[in-house]
Amino acid sequence: MSLALATLLYEWRRYMAAVMALALSGLLVMAMTGLFIGIGRGFTAQIDRAGADVMVLAPGAKALGNGPSGVPRRFIPLVYRHPEVVQVRALSGWGGQFQSIKEYDPTESAAERAKRGAPRQEQVQISVIDTAPGAVTIPTDYSDELVNALRQPYTVAVDETALRRLGVKLGDKALLNGNTVTVAAVTRGYPNMMVAQIVVSRDTLRMIGGPNDSSLRVGPLMVKLRDPTRAPIVAAQLNEMGGGQYRAWTRGELAQANEASMFEEGILVVIIGGCVVLGTIIGVAITWQTLRGAIMANIKEFASLRALGVGMGSLRRIIMELSFWVGIVGVLAAVLLTWLVSILALAGAVIIAITPGMLIVVGGGLILIAMLSGMLSLGVLKNSQPADLLR
Amino acid sequence: MMTTKVHGNHGDFAIEAKGLRKRFKTGRTFIEVLKGVDFDARHGDLTMVMGPSGSGKSTLIAALSGLLRPEEGRVDALDVDDLWKLSSGRIDKFRLDHCGFIFQGFNLFPALTALQQVETVLKFQGLSDGDAKKRAKAALEEVGLGPRLHMRPSSLSGGEKQRVAIARALAKDPKILFADEPTSALDGENGQIVIKLLRRAASEHGAAVICVTHDPRLEAWADRIIKIEDGVIIDDRRHVPDPNAVLASHH
Ligand SMILES: Nc1ncnc2c1ncn2[C@@H]1O[C@H](COP(=O)(O)OP(=O)(O)OP(=O)(O)O)[C@@H](O)[C@H]1O
Ligand SMILES: [Mg+2]
Repeated sequence: MSLALATLLYEWRRYMAAVMALALSGLLVMAMTGLFIGIGRGFTAQIDRAGADVMVLAPGAKALGNGPSGVPRRFIPLVYRHPEVVQVRALSGWGGQFQSIKEYDPTESAAERAKRGAPRQEQVQISVIDTAPGAVTIPTDYSDELVNALRQPYTVAVDETALRRLGVKLGDKALLNGNTVTVAAVTRGYPNMMVAQIVVSRDTLRMIGGPNDSSLRVGPLMVKLRDPTRAPIVAAQLNEMGGGQYRAWTRGELAQANEASMFEEGILVVIIGGCVVLGTIIGVAITWQTLRGAIMANIKEFASLRALGVGMGSLRRIIMELSFWVGIVGVLAAVLLTWLVSILALAGAVIIAITPGMLIVVGGGLILIAMLSGMLSLGVLKNSQPADLLR
Repeated sequence: MMTTKVHGNHGDFAIEAKGLRKRFKTGRTFIEVLKGVDFDARHGDLTMVMGPSGSGKSTLIAALSGLLRPEEGRVDALDVDDLWKLSSGRIDKFRLDHCGFIFQGFNLFPALTALQQVETVLKFQGLSDGDAKKRAKAALEEVGLGPRLHMRPSSLSGGEKQRVAIARALAKDPKILFADEPTSALDGENGQIVIKLLRRAASEHGAAVICVTHDPRLEAWADRIIKIEDGVIIDDRRHVPDPNAVLASHH
């Protein structure tokens, strides 16, 4: 075993501070990035589990949802012209106000309700499915019971992670945009930290006053093919047919583009960049000082090696190797810590996604931080004056 | 018994210094610690350097071994003419190849076992792992630490630690062995073991052993006794060592 590794193992307590600093730096960056990826996955979940084989969005759009990703209604017959297309439906969505009516007294003011701790009125995102059997807008993971339940008018489905926020449970009545609706089903695996998501049928949407079928623009188009395995080919052909008026994506392509587009958001880059800078500063400062202290503690031993003719370069290599091992242990601790935190977060319906790419980048970064700290602490080696041992 | 060759011929010069001067700055004035010292030591000799505290003994060793550059004078060591003309890298290399050191403190890495302490230096000399281990074991056995190979400094006694340090210096099979107060942190019994090991390094391995001490009882083992006072050598005489001398701390 090398001197560096033996020292790290034997005097591990001395290096704990550095290892913890590296672990926390890693945690900071990984948890933040993982959180955003988790949020993004919430959005992409919709894409991943969509019943469509091909999706048609406005050019430049990379997310499902209304507004910029929608297309003119006249594209529906356009897409139908492709011989392999069997079904085209527009994805619709709408914003809404959701009010649990538990202990709800309409004569009471919002302030009084808040004082009692009663559920508040919540902004929600309404997404719409067609309840006809085999409809392309039904996500693949929706059960038949769920679809059947939503087929009843004035019913909604709420994700389990949003129940508490909305103050309802299965079977409860609530007000949605002023209409009484029943929570007829609970979905699983559609967490959304920003805004609660509820699902209604297209009929229910119309009955509560949502956008009707006569509007000129519709949401992104969900396309079902005769042979789903030909999706990449058909998507390419649709794109050729459209001549740039829209963009047809396969599910996989869109999911990937969607995840990547998260990080084109300036604010995310700023937040994660800030965490990286902060983590680096903390990591370098503490690891540097720890390594300095550790070298100083063994300075006489290093000096005796110098006396025996071991050159300064060799001592530097020992320190760099030591920093490398500190970095490795730091990476392991960071991964462990992040994993624990992600488990805790999951219990609170917050998804922190840990991806292999993230592990490699952050792990490499932590080792770099450790090596940089080692480099900074090389200076104290000049105190290893063998002549000082001769007194 | 170590499988080493005997260096030089007993009696050949291993190191020769002329006109060494060393000054230290203290405040605004300089104090001259070595005032033109001429010094030599021979293979196979245990050369004892004695003198009162502050007389410049340690400084002399540092200048002889390439650790502290003197302002004036030259040091010729083995086949090197004027050691201080070499680059510091070459001086390091010279020490790595030819010099052993034993200090008053033991300076052992707390994390390493006795065997690893000795191996580490040998590996820096370029020995393979296998050879380093063999040599380290032999050196530790020679200093009587065969049963302690895998102990760390924290579980070794002071005497045993110094013997590890000696094994570390001897395993390199040095032609010149410098020792600065090697026994002063030890009791009589351990001191005796140590001085006998130095004696053996000179007699059996033909090393030039230069041992600084202020303990007059160690004189019994010396081939040559040099007295230094106030940076000047005031006495230099040969002496017939008594291999059966006893260094008792109590009585
Ligand atoms: N780095 C230094 N800076 C200033 N003065 C020094 C330095 N090193 C040694 N000296 C001075 O040089 C003188 C000789 O020191 P040296 O260590 O050679 O003495 P010594 O003979 O080994 O003494 P001792 O028996 O106490 O070890 C002392 O007065 C000491 O204070
Ligand atoms: Mg001294």
